Amino acid sequence: MSAAAAALPLQRRTRSGSLRVFLRRNPRLLVGGSIVAILLLAAAAAPYVAPYDPVATNVQDSLQSPSLRHLLGTDDLGRDVFSRVLWGARISLSVGVISVAIGFTVGVSTGLLAGYLGGTFDLLVMRVIDALLAFPALVLAISITAALGPQIQNAMIAIGIVAIPGYTRLTRGQVLTVRSQEFITAARTVGAPPLRIVLRHIFPNVTNTLVVQATLSTAFAILAEAALSFLGLGAQPPTPSWGQDIAYSARYLANLDWWMSAGPGLAIFLAVFAFNFLGDALRDALDPRLRRTA
Amino acid sequence: MTRYILRRLLLMIPVILLVTIGIFILIRLEPGDPVLTFAGEDRNPELLAALRHEYGLDQPLPVQYVIWLSHALRGDLGRSFQTNQSVVEAMAQRLPATIELGAAALLISIVVSLVVGTLSAVRRNSAVDLVATSATLVGVSFPSFFLGLILILLFAYVIPGHLLPPGGFVALTADVGENLRRLILPAVTLSTVSIAVNMRQIRSSLLEVFGLDYIRTARAKGLSERSVIASHALKNALIPVVTLIGIQVGSIIEGAFITETIFIWPGVGLLAVQAIPSGDYPVVQGVVLISALAYMFSTLFVDILYAWLDPRISYEGARA
Repeated sequence: MSAAAAALPLQRRTRSGSLRVFLRRNPRLLVGGSIVAILLLAAAAAPYVAPYDPVATNVQDSLQSPSLRHLLGTDDLGRDVFSRVLWGARISLSVGVISVAIGFTVGVSTGLLAGYLGGTFDLLVMRVIDALLAFPALVLAISITAALGPQIQNAMIAIGIVAIPGYTRLTRGQVLTVRSQEFITAARTVGAPPLRIVLRHIFPNVTNTLVVQATLSTAFAILAEAALSFLGLGAQPPTPSWGQDIAYSARYLANLDWWMSAGPGLAIFLAVFAFNFLGDALRDALDPRLRRTA
Repeated sequence: MTRYILRRLLLMIPVILLVTIGIFILIRLEPGDPVLTFAGEDRNPELLAALRHEYGLDQPLPVQYVIWLSHALRGDLGRSFQTNQSVVEAMAQRLPATIELGAAALLISIVVSLVVGTLSAVRRNSAVDLVATSATLVGVSFPSFFLGLILILLFAYVIPGHLLPPGGFVALTADVGENLRRLILPAVTLSTVSIAVNMRQIRSSLLEVFGLDYIRTARAKGLSERSVIASHALKNALIPVVTLIGIQVGSIIEGAFITETIFIWPGVGLLAVQAIPSGDYPVVQGVVLISALAYMFSTLFVDILYAWLDPRISYEGARA
């Protein structure tokens, strides 16, 4: 960490002023944040900006290479790839957000409780977490989605469950560190009830770490959704979905119709990259001690 | 050391039990009545009841779990709904292909990341370093199935001469050359994510070690730079990488599901993926169980290796 960044305590003149300084000191935040913002905007505006109906077939226009009329070409049914990529962003990003919300809510609350209460509850929770971590992440997601039935909602639930252990362990670890500090003892001495201590005194001290984790696990969720959809376990046709569209396009590879998979493939990469990049930048900016080596 | 290994094995028991409970619940969650599938056209109620009794499906759930677990412990994970083949047998047939692919990917990943990671640390801020660090950033975010398709497109179709086949498998025993030719693309695809992760780790831990006193001493002694790097720096820098390799066995197992699907590589991953649309759940969950066990034991193995490599880690005080 450079000397300039280590001297982080900002001159907080105004809220917006300090944000500007913060961003100037962490240019990577600006880059990652901007790509994420553009993606979110594209997803939200898809119905208004997509040039064509993503599911409307038009056989006369089938398998056209990229042109001004069809920016990313068309597939075998004449559907506009660019429009499908835009609409696909809605699926990918909403799976990202919802599954992370599931993982966050369940993981953070169990982590807070396990860390604060300790004892049998902690022991039980951590063994369940160990069991969840015993599966390679994507295999667990495949297994859960297969059991619940191949639907996008089930993929969200599965990815959410897979994300839980990360939050639980992280929160619990932080709580254990914070719990022994003097201000918690002070709060307990003045008779603050346990729930208040957890929510008002412990939780605010772990949020920075959690924000980083949430950003990075959104990247994982988007990649996992794409993989599940690629395997036929996510969104079902004709719903536009990046992973599923790539699987669909694979059959036209031998004809060199590369554009059918290029659009969705690059979209997945861009989305995952943006959240990973933003997560790394946030980690460096919010908590320099937290830099993971891996 | 023996005590440490024993304790780790004992601690694994409750986790394995929870894993099996989880998989059992998933099997029971699955839609459809397995007995109806078995009975086929014959819907004679007496036969159905007999079948239910035979499979213990008329018992309360905890009892069903114990029955299922005792079967599983004896190597009976049920039969495929589709082919009526025993799940264990089907997996045993496919396992060599998966192991071959996984081992090749791991080998590629270790060799490439070691060479490029070391180069990029030694020539810090050089062009090599810049390219390597940017590539790792891209590598962790690039969807493997997309990469697989790009490689197929390039090597099987675009580059003249059709250098490599787009997929398929020839047994190692049948034709070694053809087997290896078909192994290249899937193995490269499967190795990319772990190359990226390994390379980053090797680079950063080498850079850390380079700053230590004993390296300065080695240089002061007049040792050649090559010997400083190879026999002093790398030895210590590689210890954290060992742990990472354990984690990567997990990413290689999950990657195998996707890579085998793209390249029609007949391993256990493809077996599970092909079983999903037809609702052949015993096969899917059998593969999931085996993946979890393989992952757990590889993590354990790596932890033990790590403890053995790094004398600073005490086994007695270590907690899993």
